[in-house]
Amino acid sequence: AMAVVCVAVVSKENYPLYVKTTVPDSDLKFHYLVHTSLDVVEEKVSFLSEHARGSSERRELYLGQLYPSEEYKIYGYVTNTKVKFVVIMENTNSYAKDNEMKALFKKLHSAYYNLLRNPYYTPGHQIQSKMFDQTVASLMQQSSK
Amino acid sequence: LISTMARQARATESRKISSELFTLTYGALVNQLVKDYESDVEVNKQLDKMGYNIGVRLIEDLLARSNVGRCHDFRETAEVISKIGFKTYLGVTPTIANWSGGYDEFSLILDHNPLAEFVEIPDDHKKLFYSNILSGVLRGALEMVHQEVEVKFIQDTLRGDDTTEIRLKFIRKLEDAIPAGEE
Repeated sequence: AMAVVCVAVVSKENYPLYVKTTVPDSDLKFHYLVHTSLDVVEEKVSFLSEHARGSSERRELYLGQLYPSEEYKIYGYVTNTKVKFVVIMENTNSYAKDNEMKALFKKLHSAYYNLLRNPYYTPGHQIQSKMFDQTVASLMQQSSK
Repeated sequence: LISTMARQARATESRKISSELFTLTYGALVNQLVKDYESDVEVNKQLDKMGYNIGVRLIEDLLARSNVGRCHDFRETAEVISKIGFKTYLGVTPTIANWSGGYDEFSLILDHNPLAEFVEIPDDHKKLFYSNILSGVLRGALEMVHQEVEVKFIQDTLRGDDTTEIRLKFIRKLEDAIPAGEE
Protein backbone atom coordinates (compact mmCIF):
# COMPACT_ATOMS: atom_id res chain seq x y z
CA ALA A 1 0.00 0.00 0.00
CA MET A 2 1.00 3.57 -0.54
CA ALA A 3 2.09 5.61 2.40
CA VAL A 4 1.43 9.29 2.86
CA VAL A 5 4.74 10.76 3.88
CA CYS A 6 3.86 14.42 3.83
CA VAL A 7 0.81 16.66 4.09
CA ALA A 8 1.14 20.38 3.43
CA VAL A 9 -1.22 23.34 3.45
CA VAL A 10 -0.13 26.39 1.49
CA SER A 11 -1.69 29.84 1.60
CA LYS A 12 -3.05 31.60 -1.45
CA GLU A 13 0.08 33.76 -1.43
CA ASN A 14 2.08 30.53 -1.67
CA TYR A 15 3.69 30.43 1.73
CA PRO A 16 3.41 27.32 3.86
CA LEU A 17 0.80 27.24 6.62
CA TYR A 18 1.39 23.68 7.70
CA VAL A 19 3.83 20.93 6.77
CA LYS A 20 3.70 17.55 8.48
CA THR A 21 5.82 14.58 7.56
CA THR A 22 6.16 10.99 8.78
CA VAL A 23 9.83 10.78 7.90
CA PRO A 24 12.10 12.04 10.72
CA ASP A 25 14.74 14.68 10.00
CA SER A 26 13.51 15.44 6.52
CA ASP A 27 11.38 18.54 7.04
CA LEU A 28 13.61 20.62 4.79
CA LYS A 29 13.43 18.13 1.94
CA PHE A 30 9.67 18.06 2.02
CA HIS A 31 9.38 21.82 2.32
CA TYR A 32 11.46 22.00 -0.85
CA LEU A 33 9.37 19.40 -2.68
CA VAL A 34 6.17 21.21 -1.76
CA HIS A 35 7.67 24.52 -2.86
CA THR A 36 8.74 23.22 -6.25
CA SER A 37 5.36 21.64 -6.85
CA LEU A 38 3.66 25.02 -6.50
CA ASP A 39 4.64 26.06 -10.03
CA VAL A 40 2.91 23.02 -11.43
CA VAL A 41 -0.10 23.80 -9.24
CA GLU A 42 -0.34 27.32 -10.66
CA GLU A 43 -0.08 25.98 -14.21
CA LYS A 44 -2.77 23.39 -13.71
CA VAL A 45 -5.10 25.85 -12.02
CA SER A 46 -4.82 28.42 -14.80
CA PHE A 47 -5.30 25.68 -17.40
CA LEU A 48 -8.42 24.40 -15.67
CA SER A 49 -9.79 27.90 -15.10
CA GLU A 50 -9.35 28.84 -18.77
CA HIS A 51 -11.25 25.82 -19.92
CA ALA A 52 -14.02 26.37 -17.44
CA ARG A 53 -14.49 29.96 -18.54
CA GLY A 54 -17.54 30.56 -20.69
CA SER A 55 -19.22 27.44 -19.44
CA SER A 56 -21.03 27.33 -16.17
CA GLU A 57 -18.74 24.60 -14.90
CA ARG A 58 -16.81 25.17 -11.75
CA ARG A 59 -13.15 24.34 -11.65
CA GLU A 60 -12.35 20.87 -10.36
CA LEU A 61 -10.57 21.23 -7.01
CA TYR A 62 -8.58 18.01 -7.23
CA LEU A 63 -5.57 18.42 -9.50
CA GLY A 64 -4.33 14.85 -9.55
CA GLN A 65 -0.69 13.98 -9.75
CA LEU A 66 1.44 17.08 -10.15
CA TYR A 67 4.67 15.83 -11.67
CA PRO A 68 6.54 12.58 -11.92
CA SER A 69 9.39 11.92 -9.55
CA GLU A 70 11.47 8.84 -8.82
CA GLU A 71 10.95 8.68 -5.11
CA TYR A 72 7.52 10.17 -4.62
CA LYS A 73 4.07 10.75 -6.02
CA ILE A 74 2.90 14.30 -5.41
CA TYR A 75 -0.79 15.24 -5.50
CA GLY A 76 -2.43 18.63 -5.38
CA TYR A 77 -5.80 20.18 -4.57
CA VAL A 78 -6.73 23.85 -4.61
CA THR A 79 -9.81 25.31 -2.92
CA ASN A 80 -11.87 28.12 -4.37
CA THR A 81 -10.16 30.51 -1.99
CA LYS A 82 -6.83 29.43 -3.52
CA VAL A 83 -5.63 27.57 -0.44
CA LYS A 84 -3.54 24.64 -1.62
CA PHE A 85 -3.16 21.16 -0.20
CA VAL A 86 -0.21 19.04 -1.26
CA VAL A 87 0.03 15.37 -0.36
CA ILE A 88 3.21 13.43 -1.01
CA MET A 89 3.20 9.65 -1.14
CA GLU A 90 5.97 7.11 -1.31
CA ASN A 91 6.38 5.83 -4.85
CA THR A 92 5.73 2.13 -4.69
CA ASN A 93 4.47 -0.13 -7.40
CA SER A 94 0.84 0.23 -6.44
CA TYR A 95 -1.19 3.18 -7.61
CA ALA A 96 -3.56 5.17 -5.53
CA LYS A 97 -6.88 5.46 -7.33
CA ASP A 98 -8.24 8.88 -8.10
CA ASN A 99 -11.27 8.17 -5.91
CA GLU A 100 -9.09 7.40 -2.91
CA MET A 101 -7.06 10.54 -3.36
CA LYS A 102 -10.15 12.68 -3.85
CA ALA A 103 -11.59 11.25 -0.62
CA LEU A 104 -8.36 12.00 1.21
CA PHE A 105 -8.33 15.60 0.00
CA LYS A 106 -11.98 16.01 0.90
CA LYS A 107 -11.18 15.02 4.49
CA LEU A 108 -8.31 17.48 4.52
CA HIS A 109 -10.50 20.24 3.12
CA SER A 110 -13.13 19.44 5.73
CA ALA A 111 -10.52 19.65 8.50
CA TYR A 112 -9.37 23.00 7.15
CA TYR A 113 -12.92 24.25 7.11
CA ASN A 114 -13.42 23.14 10.70
CA LEU A 115 -10.26 25.01 11.61
CA LEU A 116 -11.77 28.20 10.24
CA ARG A 117 -14.68 27.75 12.62
CA ASN A 118 -12.28 28.35 15.50
CA PRO A 119 -12.43 32.06 16.22
CA TYR A 120 -8.85 31.88 17.46
CA TYR A 121 -7.50 30.83 14.09
CA THR A 122 -6.87 33.66 11.64
CA PRO A 123 -6.79 32.58 7.99
CA GLY A 124 -3.31 33.09 6.55
CA HIS A 125 -1.59 32.30 9.84
CA GLN A 126 0.37 29.19 10.76
CA ILE A 127 -1.85 26.29 11.68
CA GLN A 128 -1.43 25.17 15.28
CA SER A 129 -4.43 23.06 16.08
CA LYS A 130 -4.67 19.76 17.92
CA MET A 131 -7.79 18.86 16.00
CA PHE A 132 -6.13 19.48 12.66
CA ASP A 133 -3.06 17.49 13.75
CA GLN A 134 -5.31 14.58 14.70
CA THR A 135 -7.02 14.52 11.32
CA VAL A 136 -3.71 14.63 9.46
CA ALA A 137 -2.29 11.90 11.68
CA SER A 138 -5.28 9.66 10.97
CA LEU A 139 -4.94 10.27 7.21
CA MET A 140 -1.29 9.32 7.38
CA GLN A 141 -2.05 6.21 9.43
CA GLN A 142 -4.93 5.06 7.27
CA SER A 143 -2.92 5.11 4.09
CA SER A 144 -0.07 3.09 5.48
CA LYS A 145 -2.28 0.05 6.20
CA LEU B 1 -54.54 35.94 23.02
CA ILE B 2 -53.13 32.60 24.13
CA SER B 3 -53.82 30.97 20.77
CA THR B 4 -52.13 33.87 18.96
CA MET B 5 -49.06 33.46 21.13
CA ALA B 6 -49.04 29.73 20.48
CA ARG B 7 -49.28 30.33 16.73
CA GLN B 8 -46.42 32.83 16.90
CA ALA B 9 -44.32 30.37 18.87
CA ARG B 10 -44.88 27.68 16.25
CA ALA B 11 -44.08 30.08 13.40
CA THR B 12 -40.82 31.19 15.00
CA GLU B 13 -39.80 27.60 15.58
CA SER B 14 -39.96 26.71 11.90
CA ARG B 15 -37.70 29.62 10.89
CA LYS B 16 -34.33 28.09 11.56
CA ILE B 17 -31.02 29.88 11.46
CA SER B 18 -27.84 28.03 10.62
CA SER B 19 -25.96 26.92 13.69
CA GLU B 20 -22.80 27.72 11.73
CA LEU B 21 -23.65 31.39 11.70
CA PHE B 22 -24.54 31.26 15.37
CA THR B 23 -21.27 29.69 16.50
CA LEU B 24 -19.23 32.00 14.28
CA THR B 25 -21.11 35.01 15.63
CA TYR B 26 -20.57 33.97 19.21
CA GLY B 27 -16.91 33.29 18.48
CA ALA B 28 -16.46 36.71 16.91
CA LEU B 29 -18.08 38.23 19.98
CA VAL B 30 -15.76 36.49 22.41
CA ASN B 31 -12.79 37.31 20.21
CA GLN B 32 -13.66 41.00 20.23
CA LEU B 33 -14.10 41.02 24.01
CA VAL B 34 -10.73 39.37 24.41
CA LYS B 35 -9.17 42.10 22.28
CA ASP B 36 -10.99 44.89 24.12
CA TYR B 37 -10.52 43.71 27.70
CA GLU B 38 -7.13 42.25 28.23
CA SER B 39 -7.85 40.12 31.27
CA ASP B 40 -9.72 36.83 30.97
CA VAL B 41 -11.47 37.49 34.26
CA GLU B 42 -12.84 40.75 32.85
CA VAL B 43 -14.04 39.02 29.68
CA ASN B 44 -15.82 36.42 31.79
CA LYS B 45 -17.57 39.25 33.63
CA GLN B 46 -18.65 40.94 30.40
CA LEU B 47 -19.98 37.68 29.00
CA ASP B 48 -21.95 37.18 32.18
CA LYS B 49 -23.45 40.68 31.91
CA MET B 50 -24.45 40.15 28.31
CA GLY B 51 -25.91 36.80 29.21
CA TYR B 52 -27.93 38.40 31.98
CA ASN B 53 -29.52 40.83 29.51
CA ILE B 54 -30.37 37.96 27.22
CA GLY B 55 -31.73 35.81 30.04
CA VAL B 56 -34.22 38.38 31.35
CA ARG B 57 -35.76 38.51 27.87
CA LEU B 58 -35.39 34.92 26.81
CA ILE B 59 -37.41 33.67 29.76
CA GLU B 60 -40.52 35.34 28.35
CA ASP B 61 -40.11 33.44 25.11
CA LEU B 62 -39.56 30.18 26.95
CA LEU B 63 -42.64 30.61 29.12
CA ALA B 64 -44.72 31.54 26.09
CA ARG B 65 -43.74 28.55 23.99
CA SER B 66 -43.76 25.90 26.67
CA ASN B 67 -46.55 25.27 29.11
CA VAL B 68 -44.34 24.87 32.13
CA GLY B 69 -45.93 25.85 35.42
CA ARG B 70 -44.48 27.15 38.65
CA CYS B 71 -41.54 25.22 40.01
CA HIS B 72 -42.21 24.15 43.59
CA ASP B 73 -38.63 23.49 44.48
CA PHE B 74 -35.12 23.83 43.11
CA ARG B 75 -35.16 20.25 41.86
CA GLU B 76 -38.05 21.05 39.54
CA THR B 77 -36.18 24.17 38.41
CA ALA B 78 -33.19 22.03 37.51
CA GLU B 79 -35.35 19.70 35.41
CA VAL B 80 -36.96 22.59 33.55
CA ILE B 81 -33.61 24.26 32.88
CA SER B 82 -32.13 21.13 31.40
CA LYS B 83 -35.03 19.46 29.65
CA ILE B 84 -36.86 22.55 28.42
CA GLY B 85 -34.48 25.50 28.53
CA PHE B 86 -31.31 23.98 27.15
CA LYS B 87 -33.24 21.62 24.89
CA THR B 88 -35.21 24.42 23.28
CA TYR B 89 -32.39 26.85 22.66
CA LEU B 90 -29.29 24.74 22.29
CA GLY B 91 -30.70 21.35 21.39
CA VAL B 92 -28.89 19.59 24.24
CA THR B 93 -30.00 18.30 27.64
CA PRO B 94 -27.22 18.62 30.17
CA THR B 95 -27.03 16.08 32.95
CA ILE B 96 -28.11 17.27 36.37
CA ALA B 97 -25.61 16.13 38.99
CA ASN B 98 -23.77 16.80 42.24
CA TRP B 99 -26.68 17.93 44.36
CA SER B 100 -25.77 19.44 47.69
CA GLY B 101 -27.23 17.97 50.88
CA GLY B 102 -29.92 20.62 51.20
CA TYR B 103 -30.85 20.44 47.51
CA ASP B 104 -29.96 24.07 47.04
CA GLU B 105 -26.97 23.56 44.75
CA PHE B 106 -26.48 21.42 41.66
CA SER B 107 -24.36 21.11 38.57
CA LEU B 108 -25.19 20.91 34.91
CA ILE B 109 -22.78 18.71 32.99
CA LEU B 110 -22.62 19.45 29.28
CA ASP B 111 -21.40 16.57 27.13
CA HIS B 112 -21.81 18.68 24.07
CA ASN B 113 -21.58 22.45 23.94
CA PRO B 114 -22.90 23.90 20.67
CA LEU B 115 -21.32 27.27 21.39
CA ALA B 116 -17.87 25.78 21.47
CA GLU B 117 -17.77 23.37 18.56
CA PHE B 118 -14.40 23.49 16.82
CA VAL B 119 -13.08 26.10 19.24
CA GLU B 120 -9.56 25.69 20.54
CA ILE B 121 -8.46 28.30 23.05
CA PRO B 122 -4.78 29.25 22.89
CA ASP B 123 -2.73 28.42 25.96
CA ASP B 124 -2.38 31.98 27.19
CA HIS B 125 -6.10 32.31 27.96
CA LYS B 126 -6.52 29.55 30.49
CA LYS B 127 -8.76 31.58 32.80
CA LEU B 128 -11.31 32.28 30.10
CA PHE B 129 -14.67 30.57 30.36
CA TYR B 130 -15.57 30.74 26.69
CA SER B 131 -19.26 29.98 27.20
CA ASN B 132 -19.72 32.21 30.22
CA ILE B 133 -22.62 33.94 28.52
CA LEU B 134 -24.65 30.93 29.63
CA SER B 135 -24.04 31.78 33.30
CA GLY B 136 -25.59 35.18 32.78
CA VAL B 137 -28.49 33.83 30.74
CA LEU B 138 -29.41 31.41 33.52
CA ARG B 139 -29.03 34.02 36.23
CA GLY B 140 -31.16 36.58 34.36
CA ALA B 141 -33.87 34.12 33.42
CA LEU B 142 -34.19 32.76 36.94
CA GLU B 143 -34.30 36.25 38.42
CA MET B 144 -37.37 36.99 36.29
CA VAL B 145 -39.15 34.06 37.85
CA HIS B 146 -38.19 35.34 41.29
CA GLN B 147 -35.30 33.07 42.05
CA GLU B 148 -31.95 34.54 42.92
CA VAL B 149 -29.39 32.00 41.83
CA GLU B 150 -25.62 32.21 41.67
CA VAL B 151 -24.35 30.61 38.46
CA LYS B 152 -20.79 29.92 37.48
CA PHE B 153 -18.64 27.64 35.39
CA ILE B 154 -16.58 25.19 37.40
CA GLN B 155 -14.98 23.22 34.58
CA ASP B 156 -14.63 23.67 30.84
CA THR B 157 -13.26 21.14 28.36
CA LEU B 158 -11.96 24.06 26.29
CA ARG B 159 -9.55 24.81 29.13
CA GLY B 160 -8.40 21.24 29.31
CA ASP B 161 -10.72 20.13 32.12
CA ASP B 162 -12.40 16.72 31.94
CA THR B 163 -15.92 18.01 31.58
CA THR B 164 -17.88 21.21 31.12
CA GLU B 165 -19.71 21.88 34.37
CA ILE B 166 -21.91 24.80 35.41
CA ARG B 167 -22.73 25.17 39.11
CA LEU B 168 -26.04 26.71 40.20
CA LYS B 169 -26.64 27.77 43.80
CA PHE B 170 -30.01 28.90 45.07
CA ILE B 171 -29.65 32.05 47.16
CA ARG B 172 -33.23 33.16 47.91
CA LYS B 173 -36.69 33.69 46.59
CA LEU B 174 -37.29 37.26 45.39
CA GLU B 175 -40.58 38.53 46.74
CA ASP B 176 -40.54 42.17 45.66
CA ALA B 177 -40.63 43.56 42.13
CA ILE B 178 -37.30 43.42 40.35
CA PRO B 179 -35.89 46.86 39.57
CA ALA B 180 -36.46 47.58 35.88
CA GLY B 181 -32.90 48.73 35.22
CA GLU B 182 -30.30 46.36 33.79
CA GLU B 183 -26.84 45.85 35.21
